Amino acid sequence: MSALNNPVIAVIVSLVIAVGYFTLIDHYLMDMQGLDFWYLFRQ
Amino acid sequence: MGVVTRKKLLSIIALSAMVVALLLPIVMALPSPATGEEAPVAEGAQKEGEKVEKARDVYYKTEGIVVGAPAPKTTDSPTDYPRYNFESRVLLWFANQQHLYYGSFVLAVPIFCMIIEFMGVVTKDKALAKRYDQLAYDFIKISLTAYSLTAILGGILIFTFLTLYPTFFSYLSSIFRPVMHIYALMFVAESGTLYIYYYGWDKMKEGFLKWIHLSMSVVLNVIGTLLMFLANSWIGFMMSPAGVDEQGRYLGNIWHVIHTALWNPLNLHRILGNMAFGGGVVAAYAAYKFLAAKTDEERAHYDWMGYIAMALGVAFLIPLPFAGYWLMREVYAYRQQMGITLMGGLLAWLFIIQATMIGILFLSTNYYLWQAMGRMRGAEKYQRYIKYLVFLLACGFMVFITPHTMVMTPAELKAMGGQQHPVLGNYGVMSAKNGGINVIITTTVLSFVWYMRGNKVSTVSWARFGNIFMGVFFTCAYINIIFLAIYGYYIPANVRVGLSVPQVATTLSCLFFMFTLNSMMMKGAKQMGPIEWGKISARSQYALIMLATAFTWMMGLMGYIRSSVRLFWHVNEIMRDNSPWAYTHTVGFAANVISANVLFFWISILFVFWLGSLTAKKAPVEAKVGVPGAIPQPAGSH
Repeated sequence: MSALNNPVIAVIVSLVIAVGYFTLIDHYLMDMQGLDFWYLFRQ
Repeated sequence: MGVVTRKKLLSIIALSAMVVALLLPIVMALPSPATGEEAPVAEGAQKEGEKVEKARDVYYKTEGIVVGAPAPKTTDSPTDYPRYNFESRVLLWFANQQHLYYGSFVLAVPIFCMIIEFMGVVTKDKALAKRYDQLAYDFIKISLTAYSLTAILGGILIFTFLTLYPTFFSYLSSIFRPVMHIYALMFVAESGTLYIYYYGWDKMKEGFLKWIHLSMSVVLNVIGTLLMFLANSWIGFMMSPAGVDEQGRYLGNIWHVIHTALWNPLNLHRILGNMAFGGGVVAAYAAYKFLAAKTDEERAHYDWMGYIAMALGVAFLIPLPFAGYWLMREVYAYRQQMGITLMGGLLAWLFIIQATMIGILFLSTNYYLWQAMGRMRGAEKYQRYIKYLVFLLACGFMVFITPHTMVMTPAELKAMGGQQHPVLGNYGVMSAKNGGINVIITTTVLSFVWYMRGNKVSTVSWARFGNIFMGVFFTCAYINIIFLAIYGYYIPANVRVGLSVPQVATTLSCLFFMFTLNSMMMKGAKQMGPIEWGKISARSQYALIMLATAFTWMMGLMGYIRSSVRLFWHVNEIMRDNSPWAYTHTVGFAANVISANVLFFWISILFVFWLGSLTAKKAPVEAKVGVPGAIPQPAGSH
């Protein structure tokens, strides 16, 4: 826990979790509707 | 048999009677079940040996035996549309709206009562439990007087239908005959349960009897909710009929008639709306009492009451736009043209007004929370950040209320180079609006989180990480919402429409995860000082009144929009409205009628509050202002 309380490490870990989570949300919730979240990037 | 045992027995009998009363209408409805196998034969139509006529359900596309008469073809005559020298539709509109306001109120308040009474029963702090109990009692007392008025307004509504729209009402009641009878029986059950619940309060205030009393509130709310679902089936049928053929002949399957395409979205939307509305009205009542209070104790009590009512109301207000989104989605799925009329055509401007009202609701809520931070020591640390929340809210609000096209003179049109403003016009599409409203709701969640931790300092070992994680999570949520809103401009409409789902999920993630994280962090937190109930600015109370008034106005507006979308149909595509009033009113006229309805409701509810104060038996329980431990903890983790 003490390492996590280091602000730099805390920000990095938080960013990894939050960005990863929201990317998964975007991808899978579009996929569940039969839609492609990455549509623009595949063009 | 001891007195206590006899009381227990009597209370169990009363509760059983309520459950039986609840089940009775359902049992009575069983002979004509959803299967439609034993459908009654139409009056005088089926003689022995006569050929059975079959037809196809307009919605379910199943075949059924015709057991009803076709929908009448009305003409503009005194037979079908008897009238005074006034627009009958406006009279019906008024009666309907007032009944709905009161109906919503008396449906919502017992649910609050149940929640608060439950909180009182489970809390270990006896003083706090007593306060919760008193509060729940205060709530139900207000509801009881309003209940009588609801019944009277229901009677007025039926007479208005019978006298001004007899042919239409006759057709509707021929389809919904069993449902209307069940509705009436449920109403009797609701009345009986409510009176026993209210008058049994003092006699059933402790131990096992209190649990029985609490169970009664559950039964009461189940009945109330079922009543609303049944009433919703009528409006659902008028918008998206089912269970009848294309001539409007009933096919004997009552479940099809009830369970129309829009019934469930309407049920969810209305129950959430009623709760938010009920919370707003009770908060406004508490605000009024706060402003009129003479002593610090009274001020503390009504400040607390206002906060709880507001918090409960807002808890239901937050998911309300999502329920509305589901309803609209189902409207589009049912008839695309209906959806376009609502959101992109004739009624689109009303949706801009609705967006403005929704924005006002959230702005008022946030403003109240920021003001409420003033009554707790330690919350000053957040004051300097509030301006950033104001910025986010203002941006979200402005995008949310920007119309796609403007009403302009030819000269203005020419000057602007088209109906769409070159810059602002971009904000008039759903992609931007979804972004706007999600930013507003996420900011409201953030305000709540700040409020809940206002006077506390976390003592958990990972507090710093928790705070950083929370900040990063909210920042990423904002970025994701705004990114999805912008991304929508670059992809085709059929893909873009799906982006609203991850946007909503982002907002809800903030709501659930951040509230949970905050609760974990605040467990055993150090208190900087108590919440000084009653020591809040008067402005905050006006924000509560604003919240309630805006909600009342919006409810009237949305009711009008939902009803108007049928255009010139009594029952969409089945029974045409041939009265002289089968046209859509101008926005200005509709707004005036809605305002008149709101004004009448608030004047009449003030009368109800005044009546309630005449029967006041108990003075508010003394609030121990500033004493830690005696402070109510109304918002979950708070």
